[in-house]
Amino acid sequence: MAKKQIGRREFLISGGVAVGALAVVGVGVKYLDISHTGKQLRQDFLRPPGAINEIEFMYGCIKCGLCVQICPVQAIKLAGAHEGLSYGTPYIDVREQACDFSCDAMQCVETCPSAVLNFIPFKEAGLAAVEKATAGVVNLRNSDINPFEVQKVAMKETVRMGKAHVIKDTCLAHQRKGFKGISRGKDFEGIYRAPDSKVAWATPLKDKEFDREICNLCVTECPIGEKAIVFEPRKRDGKMRPRVLEGCTGCGVCVMVCPTEKPSIVVEPVKS
Amino acid sequence: MAFDLLKSGKNKPPLKPKPMEEMPHTKLGIKYKEWCNSHKTRHKWRNIRWAALIFMNLLFVVSFAFDLSILEGSLSGSRLIGFYLMDPFNALQVLATSSTTGYIVHLTMNFWIGLTTILLFWFFLGGRTYCSWMCPYHFLAENTEKLHNYFVKKKMIKEHSFHIGLRFVFWFGFLILAVVTQQLVFEDLNVVGITSRAMIYGPGLILFWVVGVLLFEIVYSKRFWCRYVCPIGTTWSLVGKLSPLTIRFELDKCGYCRDCQDVCLVPHELWFVQRGKATQKVHYTGSDCTRCGLCIDTCGGNALTYTIKGWGAVL
Repeated sequence: MAKKQIGRREFLISGGVAVGALAVVGVGVKYLDISHTGKQLRQDFLRPPGAINEIEFMYGCIKCGLCVQICPVQAIKLAGAHEGLSYGTPYIDVREQACDFSCDAMQCVETCPSAVLNFIPFKEAGLAAVEKATAGVVNLRNSDINPFEVQKVAMKETVRMGKAHVIKDTCLAHQRKGFKGISRGKDFEGIYRAPDSKVAWATPLKDKEFDREICNLCVTECPIGEKAIVFEPRKRDGKMRPRVLEGCTGCGVCVMVCPTEKPSIVVEPVKS
Repeated sequence: MAFDLLKSGKNKPPLKPKPMEEMPHTKLGIKYKEWCNSHKTRHKWRNIRWAALIFMNLLFVVSFAFDLSILEGSLSGSRLIGFYLMDPFNALQVLATSSTTGYIVHLTMNFWIGLTTILLFWFFLGGRTYCSWMCPYHFLAENTEKLHNYFVKKKMIKEHSFHIGLRFVFWFGFLILAVVTQQLVFEDLNVVGITSRAMIYGPGLILFWVVGVLLFEIVYSKRFWCRYVCPIGTTWSLVGKLSPLTIRFELDKCGYCRDCQDVCLVPHELWFVQRGKATQKVHYTGSDCTRCGLCIDTCGGNALTYTIKGWGAVL
């Protein structure tokens, strides 16, 4: 009996310490959470396609890294411990490796088991586009509509990771400068498949040589095309310069290919 | 029948200790000490287990490194040749946080399939079997434990042990924290997930936490994380309550040397090996047992064996 009581007393003491430790952890997490909220609103992270809003993302993401694994160009990385509570969650550093839609159909979103990358909007957009394209078509086999392609394009265009915007001070086009050569140097490792999505493989950026009278790499290399970014003359003086449109998905290929030392086009993550 | 299997027999009056002539070493005609040490260098199950553990964890690493679709993801959530598997405590936390926010409806079918599959799989294999046969942190801790034992033996440090119920405090505590903070709090501290991710996706600063926990286990309390904290292990031990695969103890072959309890990660599961404690001729280990096989290797009389409960006659 005496032994049992000691056991119970020990349990109460260690249990109390444990509860205290948990409370400290809880307060710490809550503190980080609150002090982090400002950062969250600034949205330093560009999340993978289909990410639900940042706050929900944090409590849904189980940090398994399946999205990291499935990405064919390895654009997705896991955040390190210095990111505080975001440790282990996926993000895309577009300057190093942009999401170039090499997988065609949002594989990172499809693979996510906890649905913090939510596939439903993509599925719906794809189906709607196919329905629209095939409306009135009697025999699909005889028409030149490829529903698979239609679906892929629609899903791609539904992505809203962020929105690109041009930094005029450094942009070569804004200074009426051209560009000749390899845009990010011989050692740059980034790969992409854009702009022609019918190419089977993504190729290294360092293998591509450009020669432009006025630099327009961000426009020509965009995987989405003229819905996202156009190269057009400014009304005021007829200067050609890139203009980002509403269709921009925030994939960041433009940021990756931008030849200036600091990117002259950046992707602002979407605000939730 | 199932209820009978669940009973440990702990509440029954103990059997009388065996007299000297019935002890296994007298039957063999050798000295007691000689008998105890007869299997000291046998490491059959340990080697098999380590090989399996390293193989499975390497499979994760290789699948990512060479882009193979064999075992993708990490121990927090993975896909085995396309089939999803979820860490159960992670899943519980997601359920806990999502129950208050309504996020629960968004969880994918893969989430539910993964959770069910993994629960069934480890249920048949014994629940906490996950710990000793899969968990990379267990592997680290098992090896650093030797350092701890050495320090204790040299009297450089004192052994500190706690009440085994402590892990339920942590288990509920982390779930409550998940609900209160709306974050998967445990996943930030989870040395299992951290070790797994570090192996697969490359190391980071967070590894200092793992080293810190290991150091605490070495200098203060033996296997502190595994025994008293880890809610993943606790979840598995709840899952394994009725598991068929377990370890069988035969009193007739036992020499009361308690070597098995010394090597055991969860010595309270081997309560029946002590002289005069066993209440039945045959005992089975309970759900905290990790089925690591260390006791099987060390036992001089082969009194402990793997078994599938309820299938004794068939096997």
